[in-house]
Amino acid sequence: MTDAKKSEVLQGTLDLMILKTLHALGPQHGFGIARRIEQVSRDVLQLNEGTVYTSLLRLLQQRWIAAEWGTSENNRRAKFYSITARGEKQLAVETENWQRISGVVGRVLRLEEES
Amino acid sequence: MDDGRIPGLRAFAARVAGVFGSRKRDSDFDEEVQAHLQLLADRFAAQGMSREDAAAAARRQFGNTTMLQEDRRELRTLTSVEDLGRDVRYALRSLGRSRAFTAVAIATLGLGIGASTAIFSVIDNVLLEPFPYKDPGRMVFLRIRDTARGQEGERQGYTSNEFLEFAEQNHVFEGVIAASDDVVLYKQGEGVEQLYGADVTPGTFEFFGMPALYGRVTQPADYQPGAPPVFVMRHKTWMERFNGDPGVLNKTFVLNGRARTLIGIMPPRFGWYEADVLIPESPVRGVSTGFAGLPARWFLLGRLKPGVSKAQAAADATVIANHLARINPQDYPAHFQVLVKRLGDTVVGRFESTLYTILAAVGLLLLIGCGNVANLMLARATSREKEFALRAVLGAGRARLVRLLLVESLVLAISGAALGVLVAWGGLKLIVAAMPQNLIPAESVIELNTPVMVFTLVVAVLTAVIFGLAPALQAARRDLNDPLRDSGKGVINGFRTGRMRDTVVVMEVAVSLTLLIGAGLLMRSFVALREVHLGLQADHVFETQLPLPADRYKTAAHVRGFFQPLLARVKAIPGVVDATESSALPPYGGMDSKMEISGKSHEEEWHTQLQNVSEGYFRVLRIPFKMGRAFREAEINDARKVAVVNETFVSAFLCGEDPIGRRIKLAGLETLADPVSEPWFEIVGVVADVTNQGLERPVEPEVWVPYTVTGSGEQILLVRTQQTPMALMNEVHQAVWATDAGVALAFPGALEDRISQSLYAGPRFGFLLMTIFGCLGLILVTVGVYSVLAYATARKTHEIGIRMALGAERADVFRLVIRAGLRLVTTGVAIGLIVSLLLGRAIEAELWRGVKPYDPATLAGTTVLLLGTAALACWIPAKRAARVDPMVALRYE
Repeated sequence: MTDAKKSEVLQGTLDLMILKTLHALGPQHGFGIARRIEQVSRDVLQLNEGTVYTSLLRLLQQRWIAAEWGTSENNRRAKFYSITARGEKQLAVETENWQRISGVVGRVLRLEEES
Repeated sequence: MDDGRIPGLRAFAARVAGVFGSRKRDSDFDEEVQAHLQLLADRFAAQGMSREDAAAAARRQFGNTTMLQEDRRELRTLTSVEDLGRDVRYALRSLGRSRAFTAVAIATLGLGIGASTAIFSVIDNVLLEPFPYKDPGRMVFLRIRDTARGQEGERQGYTSNEFLEFAEQNHVFEGVIAASDDVVLYKQGEGVEQLYGADVTPGTFEFFGMPALYGRVTQPADYQPGAPPVFVMRHKTWMERFNGDPGVLNKTFVLNGRARTLIGIMPPRFGWYEADVLIPESPVRGVSTGFAGLPARWFLLGRLKPGVSKAQAAADATVIANHLARINPQDYPAHFQVLVKRLGDTVVGRFESTLYTILAAVGLLLLIGCGNVANLMLARATSREKEFALRAVLGAGRARLVRLLLVESLVLAISGAALGVLVAWGGLKLIVAAMPQNLIPAESVIELNTPVMVFTLVVAVLTAVIFGLAPALQAARRDLNDPLRDSGKGVINGFRTGRMRDTVVVMEVAVSLTLLIGAGLLMRSFVALREVHLGLQADHVFETQLPLPADRYKTAAHVRGFFQPLLARVKAIPGVVDATESSALPPYGGMDSKMEISGKSHEEEWHTQLQNVSEGYFRVLRIPFKMGRAFREAEINDARKVAVVNETFVSAFLCGEDPIGRRIKLAGLETLADPVSEPWFEIVGVVADVTNQGLERPVEPEVWVPYTVTGSGEQILLVRTQQTPMALMNEVHQAVWATDAGVALAFPGALEDRISQSLYAGPRFGFLLMTIFGCLGLILVTVGVYSVLAYATARKTHEIGIRMALGAERADVFRLVIRAGLRLVTTGVAIGLIVSLLLGRAIEAELWRGVKPYDPATLAGTTVLLLGTAALACWIPAKRAARVDPMVALRYE
């Protein structure tokens, strides 16, 4: 039970990161997205790359991203994901949300330090 | 982020879509994963790892693919739907393993649902909503009841004056219309055919609010003097006589010698007055002669104003009737009452209670059926307690177990429901075929009633689900170890079968006995009805009505001029024994007439049935003479004023005196279109009583006089034959047309067939259905008793083994089981007998006089039948129990 809760939090942030990645880099396949997150997060986040696909499916279901078969750089068939207009809107909302919440959490944490 | 302000709609839609085509997606996903792994591995290899290490590292970094698949599946589809599919497959397998249980449960449900839906559909279409007209509930007719004579003295036909008075002077009706008999003859090919017509008053079609199917209905202009003569035809007549040919519309027919144009065909459900043709006719004050020279009688139908009750209408009509009685005292009894009856009362009458009795029976059948299903489900679920405990131990959640059982119950219930729909559909066809057509309104069309079907489906399905689920809920709540530890076959309870199941069986037996007793009583009643002595021999008699064209047959001489040669011709046909004229058809007498006897004074009015006949009448119907003699041929030919009376007449009016030679005055003959002046008749003979009011009512006084005294009244030909009466149909037809080509045979047939149709059909229908339901109930109960005992015995195999090991004889075991079964059955029988006696009054109205609701023979017979069948149901499990091998039973644990 507790595992599920932890992953839920992680999934939420992962969704946001994927949306942001697609927004910044344009259409990407799953491997590319994993590389990008790895590159940005360095050693901070331990990522099971498989969970990227779960997250992608969830985003697809909400129609925040779209998928299309294409050819990867090494000439393999690969599914390319791109952010939709709806996804862009969602990204904006969620980004603002995230900043507000992280701001609040940061302030709370600072208050505790001061007391 | 997945909080989704529309959490689910879009995702849900995607999931629903995901239920389909899941294989394709799975393989797509595999490909994607493989590509990803390959890329990772390539990357690690490029960093200098060996191939195997690179692949392993890639898998590590990617994570557990199986778990990923699970996650995806959870996300992608409705897992419950996939599980449901599994549950249904499991339920089918599990039900398939216990075929007998499944078959019995489904059959029981199907029969219960089907039978009750079919019967209720009939009731709804015949009794509750038979009429397709506008506001049929507010349509009423009036009856004048002679309070001194009760039901026998009711009249519902009114003169033109009376109709106009009621129509114009009332304050309670929105509209009043009327119809009057009009036998219609029309030329068809060689000879003449007869139709049953009705004269209808202005506003009739507007009153019913039904437009014509083709053409038009009558308009006010059609009633104006000098308007072109028109008529409207009933759909059934159009189909039967003209094969639904639209070409007859606007054609001209010669009806009763007058050319009339057919202006409209009515829709199939229009059946007012059951008339073949409807002819516009305005009643005129002072005109009092109708068809066959009988006084014109209009049958009134009024529509109550909204909010007016029947009692208010009766009060208003009584004021008018009192006024009319002062003007025409001879038409009204000294003391009378005006009854207001609904339109539905015209036809259904007695048949109504038959239908309701059957409905009650079918309700009881449904009750037994549900009881059986409940018991079967209970027994099955209880015997699977262990299975469920095991499943729970192995990790099945409670909800999952309940769902498993629910699905199983639903599979059963839905199969039963499907069967029920079939049974209802087929059963309704059978019932409609068996239904006596003359006892239901012509307007009613019997079809399946959807709301009722839905209701019975829900009841049956709920029964299955509730009783299938109850033990599961109980089992799920229980400590898991209990059922596993307990052999479930302990001896503490003795030989109990479970209180709930016991109650259900007792209830079933009681209800079944009630049903059987009902069926038995109706059967007795029907047999008694068949044994009623008509007083005449109805076999080998051909009958036909011969309505004579009114324009050419006005006087007694005209009528005699037709019948004298006709009777001679008919008697000459080979195979004919004898023939006679008559003015009425058995088992009914003729017209009602006031009567006086010379030298007798009396306070109250005397009435008698009056019938016109020729001299062969008593020979043709084999009615024996008690005193005096029959008419002589010369007396008939000379129209002598002589009379024959029945025994009831003598005992009612001439108690102890010699009737022969007494003179009686038949005042009714003075009121005919061809009246008899000074209608004093001399009694020359007395015959044994002949049923003259139908089978149900006692014989009334009756007088027969020569048909030659008047040209009025109906003309009927009765022929006694040597062979089947209908074989002579053509010869009689030829004889009639040889006498007068303008006369048609109306309603020709065999006397015996008609009596059996009209008198026995209703009761036979009732007792037939009751018997079928009684037998079904008996079968269901037998199955119920058997299943409970068999189940209990199977559960107690261990106990029986111990008992036998401890020295019990096989006979003891046998007795033990039988006693357990019969204890339930006898309790049920006792309750059933009490209930039947209490309900006796309800069915009494259905019973033929002489058969009592507590008829001892019926009670004893049905009780023995039920006990015998139940004993048989106990015997098989008892025998099985007695065969138990103690060693096997004990080792089994």
